[in-house]
Amino acid sequence: MFPWQKKKKTEAVAKQKNTKISRSLKENVAYLEEQYLYGTNFDFNSKELRGSTGRYHLFYYSTIIDTKQLNEHIVTPLLETKRDIPVPRIVTLSSLSSVKNMDEVEKGLSAGCVIIFKEGMSEAFEAKIDDFKHRAVEKPENEKTVKGPKESFTESLPVNISIFRKQIPSKDLIVENISIDSRPTMPVSLVYARDLVNEEILENIKKRIKKITASNIRNIEILEQFLEERPASLFPTMLYTERPDNAGNYIMEGYVAIIMENSSSCLIAPITIWSFFHSPEDRYLRWAFGNFSRLVRAIAYFITLFVSATYVAITNYHSQLIPIDLLLAIASSRERVPLPIVFEILLMEVAFELIREAGIRIPSPLGPTIGIVGALILGQAAVEANIVSPIVVIIVALSGLSSFAAANYSINHTLRISRFLFIFAASMYGLLSLLGAILLWVAYVVSINSFGVSYFSPATPSNRSPRDTFFRMILKKEKWRPGFLNPKDWDKQ
Amino acid sequence: MELNKKPLRIRELTAMIFMIIGLKGGDTTPALFADHAQNAIWIVPIISFLFLLGPFLILMHLLKKYKNYNLIELIFHLIGKKAGTLLALLLFTCGFIAMFTDMRNVMEEINYLYFPNSPTLVIYVIFLTICILVANKGLETIGSLAWALLPVIIVTIIAVIFVDLKEAVLVRIFPLFGGGVGTVLFEGISKSAAFLEIFLITIAYQSFHQTKYFHSGIYLGGSLSFMLIVSFYAVYAMLFDYNSINNIAFLYQEATEIVALGHFFTNISTLFMVGWMFSNFLRFIIFLYLICWIFGAIFEIKRFEGLLLPIGFIAMILSLIPPSFVVNEMFFRERSLQIMTPIFFLFPFLLWVASYWKDRKK
Repeated sequence: MFPWQKKKKTEAVAKQKNTKISRSLKENVAYLEEQYLYGTNFDFNSKELRGSTGRYHLFYYSTIIDTKQLNEHIVTPLLETKRDIPVPRIVTLSSLSSVKNMDEVEKGLSAGCVIIFKEGMSEAFEAKIDDFKHRAVEKPENEKTVKGPKESFTESLPVNISIFRKQIPSKDLIVENISIDSRPTMPVSLVYARDLVNEEILENIKKRIKKITASNIRNIEILEQFLEERPASLFPTMLYTERPDNAGNYIMEGYVAIIMENSSSCLIAPITIWSFFHSPEDRYLRWAFGNFSRLVRAIAYFITLFVSATYVAITNYHSQLIPIDLLLAIASSRERVPLPIVFEILLMEVAFELIREAGIRIPSPLGPTIGIVGALILGQAAVEANIVSPIVVIIVALSGLSSFAAANYSINHTLRISRFLFIFAASMYGLLSLLGAILLWVAYVVSINSFGVSYFSPATPSNRSPRDTFFRMILKKEKWRPGFLNPKDWDKQ
Repeated sequence: MELNKKPLRIRELTAMIFMIIGLKGGDTTPALFADHAQNAIWIVPIISFLFLLGPFLILMHLLKKYKNYNLIELIFHLIGKKAGTLLALLLFTCGFIAMFTDMRNVMEEINYLYFPNSPTLVIYVIFLTICILVANKGLETIGSLAWALLPVIIVTIIAVIFVDLKEAVLVRIFPLFGGGVGTVLFEGISKSAAFLEIFLITIAYQSFHQTKYFHSGIYLGGSLSFMLIVSFYAVYAMLFDYNSINNIAFLYQEATEIVALGHFFTNISTLFMVGWMFSNFLRFIIFLYLICWIFGAIFEIKRFEGLLLPIGFIAMILSLIPPSFVVNEMFFRERSLQIMTPIFFLFPFLLWVASYWKDRKK
């Protein structure tokens, strides 16, 4: 940065950091009321109490505290006390603590504390009786399973941590808070098992979080993009999950979970590509059933990536491959279609993407319309109007349907965009360019890493691990934790 | 941040060796052997193997003895900088020639069989661009990539052998020594440089998690490749028979062309092209990378990835000089292999003597 571009912090910020709490109640009140724009700021309360033993002053946001507790445990005891004893002995709240300067006062107020000032004292007391409103713990919406727990995270940090504590009742489960130097300062919680996690990975994550200086990072969805090494890459390097049981499994393998207030999900780092294809249900189901469902999903991934591109390549360049009867069938169905095959496929693929995008954004009362419109216009009418051939509709529907089988939403976009790349590649030089594109794609996947862990491990580079890649082993036979994470304790049994 | 230093292990090396040596079962090398050896082509690689085994074991022994050197460093250490540069350049030139003659053959195959209407140059440029782009990512990526794509290639190989064995006739192996014992022996020995990559890959001696992994990997990969080549050649011999096998230029494609899978899939050769194409991409990615690495090691160029483009380009231009596939294969490749064989046969002995001399001087 050039010297004339130096950051200038606003004076108000600098002032409040240095301000100590004064002995004069009047001064404190005046300072805080000015800082918080009392009167304009409608839920900011500044309340004077004249008890029999002295004058008190309370500050709080009325919208984020529990009024019942305020009345019962703070206001009533302060007013009723007859003897002049210290505040901690009057207020019967376990969360009471003393604060020395205005910086802490401000932090407390935003966190849902009531600040108690007393005339003639150069310290104040904060009582945390916050009552932030949030959703209840509900069923997971995006990662559904038939067999397995039905809880999901919700948009409250304490609730989420409490769910974690319930998952892993151990003193080694550490929830560490790091503040992002953004505006406003936001805490990020790292959840990990102290006796498993690799320190190098943990330090790397912490270092990257501390490096962030951008303002306005209020949830992990945004944080994810600031933490990633390759923000423009097609491949996510952190797993985004809303299932506490899934997150708990990862933590007990030595991964780190990142949670924040305001997010009903957590991030798992570091991650390998396999995790995006695994559903927690694979482990809950019996070995054969879980692996069968993985096999189906693997087929779905291959179909969604390659079926349209292969169709383009083979019909355009390698028609000798197609059995003669099938070739005639394709040719006759295309007889009256004027468009080239690539254009035909792209038209339908784009239409399918449109339906999908519209399906997410459409208000739910209008939802059924889109199904009818999509099915009628794209399926029936387009074929009858000889814009596309029926076989293309089948292929595009198949590849679109298969992309919904993705176990994780993060990888869904990867598959969808990659599919278009492959279609373009196939249209250029048939199988030669298609295979070349696949080769480049795979080379990219094996070359990247997530927080120092190779994206394709444990397949390659190989390590001791549960060998949980395409298929999983019988749980009893899983001897090792993932070795690519280099956990403190490798032995699982 | 890199959590695991030097992550490559046995499986990656095995996969890489399998790609650059084993896949000679599917290129034009069998046609080269079949020209004189007839249906004894499967014996030719055995002879080559036995012929090269001695020098190869000596080289491995020397590498093990001087733990911290790769091929070029070992040459420099043993016979000095000047003579070492000369020898290393000689090896580089041999490898380079072998690479571009092979590459031209493969390009002609792709061109002739799958894209008969397009010019060789366009296919060449596409192929080379992809090779250079991938090779640019470094050895770890290449090794991992080889392992990641290995399943596709193995499935292809098993499928080819399976469908071909249905058409194969065992007695076509006879006459056992095809063109005659002398011819077969001469073919095997004089063209054993066709497998020279096994020497060149020792440039990567220091790049694996432990050097003992390199030993395991190269022996495992080498023997698997050997088995694959011999069994493929035997299948070709059983498919095409004496006196007609020497008239076929692309044995692999021909072998997949003549078989059908039931009554519905009558023409499945393009299906087998997938694994074949992947393996050829990988083979030249690895080969190009090794060649650049050797060149970089000779002239102490640290970031030798920058050489991929010029070396690849020069290889392309040079390989397009022979007017046709036949000239390239039957004249250029055959002659060059005959010249290269003694070099690769002798240089490990030279190093061995130098090492012996060094020990005695102490």
